[in-house]
Amino acid sequence: MKKLRVTVEGKVYEVTVEILDAGKEGAPLFPPAVGSVSAAPVVSAPVASASVSAPVSAPAAAAPSVPAGPGAVASQLAGKIVSLNVKEGDTVKAGDVLLAVEAMKMNTYVNAPRDGKVTKVAVVVGDAVNEGQTLVVIE
Amino acid sequence: MPISQAVVDALRKKREVALNGGGKDKLEERRKKGLFTARDRLDGLFDSSTFQERGLFVQHSCHNFGMEKKELPADGVVTGTGYVSGTPVAAFSQDFTVAGGSLGSIHAKKIVNLMDHALKAGLPIVGFMDSGGARIQEAVESLSGYGQVFFHNVLASGVIPQIAVIAGPCAGGAAYSPALTDFQIMIKKQANMFICGPDVIKAATGQTCTMEEVGSAAVHATTSGNIHFVAENDAHAIQIVKQLLTYLPANNMVDPPHKLPPTLSLTKHKSMEALVPADSKSPLDMAAVIAKLFDANSFLEVQRDWAKNIIVGFARLKGMVVAIIANQPMVKAGTLDIDASDKAARFIRFANCFNIPIVTLVDVPGFLPGLAQERGGIIRHGAKMLFAYSAATVPKITMILRKAYGGAYLAMCSKDLGADFVFAWPTAEIAVMGAEGAVRVLFRKELKEAADPKAREAELIAEYREKFASPYQAASKALIDDVIEPADTRAALAMALRNLLSKRETRPPKKHGNIPL
Repeated sequence: MKKLRVTVEGKVYEVTVEILDAGKEGAPLFPPAVGSVSAAPVVSAPVASASVSAPVSAPAAAAPSVPAGPGAVASQLAGKIVSLNVKEGDTVKAGDVLLAVEAMKMNTYVNAPRDGKVTKVAVVVGDAVNEGQTLVVIE
Repeated sequence: MPISQAVVDALRKKREVALNGGGKDKLEERRKKGLFTARDRLDGLFDSSTFQERGLFVQHSCHNFGMEKKELPADGVVTGTGYVSGTPVAAFSQDFTVAGGSLGSIHAKKIVNLMDHALKAGLPIVGFMDSGGARIQEAVESLSGYGQVFFHNVLASGVIPQIAVIAGPCAGGAAYSPALTDFQIMIKKQANMFICGPDVIKAATGQTCTMEEVGSAAVHATTSGNIHFVAENDAHAIQIVKQLLTYLPANNMVDPPHKLPPTLSLTKHKSMEALVPADSKSPLDMAAVIAKLFDANSFLEVQRDWAKNIIVGFARLKGMVVAIIANQPMVKAGTLDIDASDKAARFIRFANCFNIPIVTLVDVPGFLPGLAQERGGIIRHGAKMLFAYSAATVPKITMILRKAYGGAYLAMCSKDLGADFVFAWPTAEIAVMGAEGAVRVLFRKELKEAADPKAREAELIAEYREKFASPYQAASKALIDDVIEPADTRAALAMALRNLLSKRETRPPKKHGNIPL
């Protein structure tokens, strides 16, 4: 908490300010580099986010443990189905939580990999599933 | 008498011919396809006019199959040194327009000479791989060339950072030179890397497969774990190299380029609190924690698409360069498995080679149970993490956010593996195993005989959790140095690290340890 006195058009107000995050603290850390590289900060700024690996479309070949067709959503690990949010015929958006698998003291949420319609729900709550097992099929 | 103009002209002419590699038309053809030439790549990497070439006028040494009549400018590889954002770096770039970038003995000699130079001068080295492979006409001399490059890769390992860009074909033995470097960046579409391609696999085993499945950037990034970054194109690959170099020291005898602010702000970050789910079964998103904990936009994730249950990468913490190892509970519950152990152990060892402090963020429920893991050797793979952390003498700071169970707790740089500071949030659970499992083992008999086993079990679980699923048991045994609020984490880690930059730790001399491989 910080107390500030603010004067607006001659009137004095006392306000209390709670600072949640320090905004600018990073600023003085990056003095312009010495020498001919004054352009460096300009270049490196967008790089910081762009320089992570380019998104790779994960082709079926990259995940040979998934036995079923292209629309199959498989379990990452062995566990128990603790919640099921979709039924056959539902329309889902990429990122929607389809269900949760409990394993290792943790609920692992399974998200829809893309937009589509749920054509098959292969499990019910309470089922034990294996790693790589098809849970839901989205067309 | 001034120098004879004819001599100067002859030099200029020779230089121009050599600079054009496989010929102007071939260079233009590449550019039209959207590909950089060997020299374009070096131009992109180095600050303008700073590239100093060595070996432009070499001649290949093959006298068979009519090769003696052929000129191969620079013998198909451009080598030299220059400045990248103001710091000196050595680089070589294979020229696909000259005999398909094939590696002959002089080509290899140029690369080896450059590596020797980089080793002596203590410069990082970057290589652009774009080669059809061994120059068949040079037979065993070409193989010997590969052998010499590999040997020098190993000499340089741990002395200077080595970065390889797979910018074109990289087949057979050629793939092993990048594999011996520290970081491999692969360009989508134009690059592929494999030991035996689809044709050889088909001939030898009858299996049919595609290049996409065997040697693409996607497969190496997601499945084989052979590469560290995927680039969209040449320009993007160069951007990644430059960004990577901003975290690295020139060699193992100097510190990484920390940018220490004159004052250390210890502001609280209340917004950290929102990232901690109240329910301990709900996964915490470690990526969000990393984004908040370290300097804005400073995080460069390494091997992002492989073994996603662990996150590794470089960042800055109030200007200090750090290597981050962090469990990702959003994937496979954050468990450690074979691939995650390999990924983390290799990164820890890189950081230790080059004096980069290690920050470990822990939220791990254990090693991944399963037949495939046991049979695949999780014991020896998991042991790599124990080995790498124990052997690392750089500053090691461990932050336990939530779960830290069993052997995985130890493997995530516990106090006993030599962590210099261990912090925990009040949400930390440090125990041998989860409450449910522990109660079933400890009270099997009592539960059997209880009037209401279910109720008694719940009672015992609650009791166990209260006692052991907290940071205070560990703190009471001095295995944790402090329990802190999430809002104080950034300040606490930064302060601890600033006080550790002068760390010195020596171990008994030996050739090298024997890490389980």
